[in-house]
Amino acid sequence: MKWTGLILGLIGFIMPLTVTFPGLSLAGHFAMSIFLMAAVFWMFETIPIYSTSILVIFFQVILLSAEGFITYSGADYTPLPFSRFIATLADPIIILFLGGFVLADASVKYDFDKSMTKLLLSPFGSQPKFIILGLMLVTAVLSAFMSNTATTAMMITVILPIIARMEPGDPARIGIALSIPFAANIGGIATPIGTPPNAVVIAALNQQGVDVAFSSWMMYALPLAVVMLFVAWLVLLRLYPPAVKSVTLNLTGKLKTSRNAIILYVTFGLTVLLWVTEGLHGIRSSIVALMPVAVLTLTSAFDKQDIRKLPWEVLWLIAGGIALGISMKETGLAEWMVGAISWDQFGYLMLLSVFGIVALVMSNFLSNTVTASLLIPLAISLVTSGLLDGVAGMLMLGLVIALGSSFAMVLPISTPPNAIAVSTGMIQTKHMISAGLIVGLIGLVLILLLSVIYWPFII
Amino acid sequence: MEKKIYILVVEDEPEVLDSIVRDITEFEAFFPVEMADTAEEAREIIRSILDEENEIGLILCDHVLPGDNGVELLVEMQNNEETHHTRKVLITGQAGLQETVRAVNEADLKHYIAKPWAKEELISIVRELLTDYVLEFEPQPLRFMQVLDGERIADHIRTSGKLTDS
Repeated sequence: MKWTGLILGLIGFIMPLTVTFPGLSLAGHFAMSIFLMAAVFWMFETIPIYSTSILVIFFQVILLSAEGFITYSGADYTPLPFSRFIATLADPIIILFLGGFVLADASVKYDFDKSMTKLLLSPFGSQPKFIILGLMLVTAVLSAFMSNTATTAMMITVILPIIARMEPGDPARIGIALSIPFAANIGGIATPIGTPPNAVVIAALNQQGVDVAFSSWMMYALPLAVVMLFVAWLVLLRLYPPAVKSVTLNLTGKLKTSRNAIILYVTFGLTVLLWVTEGLHGIRSSIVALMPVAVLTLTSAFDKQDIRKLPWEVLWLIAGGIALGISMKETGLAEWMVGAISWDQFGYLMLLSVFGIVALVMSNFLSNTVTASLLIPLAISLVTSGLLDGVAGMLMLGLVIALGSSFAMVLPISTPPNAIAVSTGMIQTKHMISAGLIVGLIGLVLILLLSVIYWPFII
Repeated sequence: MEKKIYILVVEDEPEVLDSIVRDITEFEAFFPVEMADTAEEAREIIRSILDEENEIGLILCDHVLPGDNGVELLVEMQNNEETHHTRKVLITGQAGLQETVRAVNEADLKHYIAKPWAKEELISIVRELLTDYVLEFEPQPLRFMQVLDGERIADHIRTSGKLTDS
């Protein structure tokens, strides 16, 4: 696999340098080299996906920037300053995620995630079906603001003792074990910082001058997340009906009350409040995101060790996706690729469906962020080349890609939360495939439904 | 190829050896079990496991053995860089205070199990010690989650950042 990926990636990189494609600029050929190499390396995971991202930025600086090794003359491409490519590492959306990461890691440090879970779960009683609903709601709320993976890992520590108290043959054990990763994947769509594909899509829209406020994203995606949670809940109850009437939860633990923990609670609450009300006060979410970073570090609630432990590679991964989009657009590559297919035969809904299906299928096998990074430049050029209606069309296509790639939950490799759930040994891949397929397909249909009956009226 | 983590059981009485191995069968699919009846044979097995670039995560060792005794073997392993981190357990009826103290001080003995042992006790000790080992040295602890302490492994993933959204 590794060698196949390496060889294919190199062939992909060299091919555009040796073949001349009519209608594509010299810069477009270089951009295609970078695109093909990145696509192959991301798909085969020849090298870690975040280092493919860094490689993208590296080659862009060398091959496509004004300070690089290639001298461009002629009107078809004005080289961008190299700072444009490296600035993706500090793109506003990256800063937004940085703020989210600091809040999330600080929450883990002070067990805020755990104590919140126990607090929020207590009203759900002892009936297994409502416990499952409670688990899913809590998981989704947390994963809307924290990483889906960390949320799943935390929730697994909560469900293992519950499952251990159930009869070995109770189908609800499978239902519970599946409910966590599903809810985490679904919860991730609810906010811009819920999951990295959202970032890639929002950054690409920003490049086009389309601003997506934190609260607007929630308006578009939160209703879908809520509906999908109930759908997933009902699907799991149908497939794995609980055998007993009552299960004890045994929730113990209380909120920490140290000085630093309280600083975190207040900062967390205030940041989230400012984020979700962006539409009212207009302070950009990426600016708000600097507040928790500043407050938590200046009070030492978040120290040097904690800063080093942040998932920096995820930020690199997103930055590479953003950078790839820039070079594809600026060199005219994306438009050229899109132009190769006669899209005008497709209807508007057909087009959204194609991108939705491709996103869903791809991200079952690939990283969700990679899926979004590969698809969004193409989608954007479709719109800019006039095949879809301006801002609204662009936004909807972006939403379809981001949400579609988050609904991929068929296989253990589809998302890290799925991998964790299968590793518990409580479920087998076949359970995940059947439930994940149903939930994913319903999700896709609902996304397309929203693009007809809901989004056009609020965008 | 992912490296394998072995469990080594050293015991000279065949029935006792069988009974230990039988008690820990639930781990065998994830942690291959090797058996030896003398310290000498144990050394050979250790050598061959290490030569194949695998590791020994846990040794369950009797004290009274023909030839070198169990404590000597454990101390020797402690002083060898490649088996220094192996979790070491004595299962014995007859180790004197002095030898036990030596095992604690010089071999970082993790547990002393007196014969006869209860199966549940043995399983829970093996589970906890292998979890310790895996969390400290295994880059992908997830693959052992279902047979070890799942809560601790999940919590480790939550706090360590070893696995992130992608």
